[in-house]
Amino acid sequence: MTTCNECTNFFPLEDDPSTGDCVQRVVDPRQAYYKSKPVDDETDASKCDQFQKK
Amino acid sequence: MTTVAAKQSKGLKEHEKAQEWWWVAEQTRSKRLDYLRKAVWKKGAIGGVYNPGIKIDLERPILFTEAWKENNQDPQMLRKAKAIAHVLENITIFITDQAQLVGYIGSLPHTIQWYPEGASIVNEEVYNEPGTVPEPEEKSLKIMAEINDYWGGQTAIDKLGRVLNPEDLVKYMSGVIGWGVPTSAYGYAGKDYEYILTGKRGFEDIIEEIDGYMDAAEKKTSGEPGPDILPLYDKILNWEAMQIILEASINFAERYARLARVISENFESDPKRKEELMRISETCEQVPAKPPRNLQESFQFDWFMQTLARFEAYEGAMPCRPDYYHGPYYDKDVNIDKRLTKEEALDLVGEFMIRAHEFGAFIPRLGREGLQGVTGTFVWTMGGVNKDGSDACNDLTVAFMQAARLVRVSNPTFGFRWHPKVKEEVMRECFECIRHGLGYPSMRNDPILVENTVYWYGHPVEEARTWVHQACMSPCPTTKHGFQPIRMASATANCAKMIEYALSDGFDKVVQMQMGPKTGDPRQFKGFEELFQAWVAQMKWMMSLLVRTVNLGRIKDPEFFGRPFLSSISERSVESGIDVVSPEGERGNCWVTFFTWVENADSLAAVKKLVFDEKKYTMDEMITALEAEWEGYEEMRLDFVNNAPKWGNDDDYVDDIMVRCLREVASYSHKIKCPSGNNWPALPENVSGNIHYASLVGALPNGRRLGDALYDGGISPGPGLDKKGPTAVLKSCSKFDHVKDGRAFLLNQRLSPTQLAGEKGYKLWSAYMKTWAELGMDHVQFNMVDDTTLRSAQTDPEKYQELIVRVAGYSAHFVDISRKTQDNIIQRTVVGL
Ligand code: SF4
Repeated sequence: MTTCNECTNFFPLEDDPSTGDCVQRVVDPRQAYYKSKPVDDETDASKCDQFQKK
Repeated sequence: MTTVAAKQSKGLKEHEKAQEWWWVAEQTRSKRLDYLRKAVWKKGAIGGVYNPGIKIDLERPILFTEAWKENNQDPQMLRKAKAIAHVLENITIFITDQAQLVGYIGSLPHTIQWYPEGASIVNEEVYNEPGTVPEPEEKSLKIMAEINDYWGGQTAIDKLGRVLNPEDLVKYMSGVIGWGVPTSAYGYAGKDYEYILTGKRGFEDIIEEIDGYMDAAEKKTSGEPGPDILPLYDKILNWEAMQIILEASINFAERYARLARVISENFESDPKRKEELMRISETCEQVPAKPPRNLQESFQFDWFMQTLARFEAYEGAMPCRPDYYHGPYYDKDVNIDKRLTKEEALDLVGEFMIRAHEFGAFIPRLGREGLQGVTGTFVWTMGGVNKDGSDACNDLTVAFMQAARLVRVSNPTFGFRWHPKVKEEVMRECFECIRHGLGYPSMRNDPILVENTVYWYGHPVEEARTWVHQACMSPCPTTKHGFQPIRMASATANCAKMIEYALSDGFDKVVQMQMGPKTGDPRQFKGFEELFQAWVAQMKWMMSLLVRTVNLGRIKDPEFFGRPFLSSISERSVESGIDVVSPEGERGNCWVTFFTWVENADSLAAVKKLVFDEKKYTMDEMITALEAEWEGYEEMRLDFVNNAPKWGNDDDYVDDIMVRCLREVASYSHKIKCPSGNNWPALPENVSGNIHYASLVGALPNGRRLGDALYDGGISPGPGLDKKGPTAVLKSCSKFDHVKDGRAFLLNQRLSPTQLAGEKGYKLWSAYMKTWAELGMDHVQFNMVDDTTLRSAQTDPEKYQELIVRVAGYSAHFVDISRKTQDNIIQRTVVGL
């Protein structure tokens, strides 16, 4: 199973690498920004359309 | 000068000459401010309808409900703290390019927040609002339906509805006499800034303070039994709730710190921006965990606090005093340490305003119509005095005025606390903002309002001097016992109904219901006195009903809603372990907002003159015409418009009636009490309620027809009815006591931009302000945009997107308000000074 751990958007926490932040760049009609959401390293990434192999 | 620069400079001068201040702002502000200002998704509804692209945020409702269900064994405050902590740990966060301050209440920049635990009636509206359901719509609607099903009957307002007097509930819910809802889910929360924003403590310090209280309480609960230890069991759980939410808040800030670092180290290539991002990271590590050390940290601390409070509830106002509380950090950074240039500081000040402007939460239609174009009434308090009475204006006061002209936001706006020691430099800055057509700052008479605050509630004068605008207009201290944690907007009266009911035996012909008390068949009234006494009875009934609902809402709120975060940043709650909305430990600072007030004096005067004094018409004839909504009686109606005296012309005939009405209200304000046992004075002002209520108030003897816009509010004369010039307006408005006859009184004035151009304009305005102050008025605000510009904006709105006007206690972009409200503003008399 592909997991978040294998994705370039996954940034593990220093003190607990089993969890981390999924950080993505977004450009909407008014502004550009980076967004972040907590994810576990073992989260199934097979259905994630933002997955990018490390 | 390069050709491009020359062109720009020429453009700027032309724009200045044409008084097109929005283009001036665009060409003058920094690239960063320009980007950030344009990056904001407009959350205020345009004429009541949300902008395309604005979507309901579903992350908070889903996460909150998830945790709420899981912790059903916990008491309200603890359960709530756990639910919000779950949101803060998991909601998507973002950092906008070029931003230096972070934090938003939604998961993405175009989202507006929804609080499903507040009111089922609002939840239904959220579900049915066209255009705001997030994509994919079908999936979102399914989630929203599930959330609504879960909360149906369980929201704060559903629960309150079950304990309210059923008759009060029906009358209140009719929507014709009141406004807002009696819960802290949607209200105006004051803050104990003297505790939290004086740089003495961060959230870690509060957690430690609470540890101390908990240890002492736990010791007692394992000691000798007695009644004194019984409340401690609940308090320990409340303290636990406060600690949970404070820790979650620190972690929330750390998530931003991490994100900024990740961007800096992995995505950003510009060295300057990399450095800025590391500074953001450092800032979010420091605050709110620890006290701020510099201006950026101080603003960030405040902004986190404001954002976190809005994860807990829809706070529709932002009672704060940023120049006073952040001023020392500005001074340190800019003047003493010189770690920031004035321009760099101005970028931070402007961005602080933009962050507040970005705020957006779902407002039901009633609220959107009454508050067109904005998402709240964030009236930030500027200027004023220190606790010892000395001038509190500082360099940051000036910086805020300058930043306001650059970012030109309609929310927040400023209310400036004028006093005799304000320096000319600061007054000039206020005038420049007004001259640039912002409609703010509103000018407040500080000595009068401090005295008023002491008079009505007995706040000590040192505490009264800390006052901030709790909503549009009402002063409230920022101290432990003086601050009011929540103003529930439902104590807002649609006052035109007082005279309407006095002339209809209390029956409302619009909603077809007996609303007010039966005060007698008006056709049988033999003289003015009988009519006046009927009016007094209707006034008392209306004030009582609204105040009863709010008093009950206040008492029940900790049980039905709960404010763990607000409690955790309030000294009296941290100390006592009691939800801050509980009135215990609060001195009281309530007021009843009076919408559509002046119609009463004008209508009473018209009946007195044309019916009882001149006997031109009988009561029967007049009531018949009113019952027909003046239809078929146009000649008679015009007689009531043109030949009856109108407020605002220095005419004692009608002014005496106004003063008498106010004194009746003031006397009754001492009889009705808040849960702390303090008074409920009245505060005449309007948001755009004058438009919302147009179709709900029947014909009146001032000549108004059903459907006509009501007056723009407060003590402002009816639009176009003040025919004797600005001094006559001021004279009328100074015939009553602005300390003892009510809480505060809104006065709108329209000035001519042509007349007030240049130095001569400033001098004229200064002389006007001197008269205003000498006459003891407490408030005045100005629109300084001419009819031509406003009419051009009506025909070509695209060109005038950034044109701002003062609507009532708030400002809005002209193109965002309804045609009716636009017309109402144009109708206001432009006074020559
Ligand atoms: S983009 Fe998808 S796969 Fe990659 S970290 Fe985020 S959630 Fe996981």
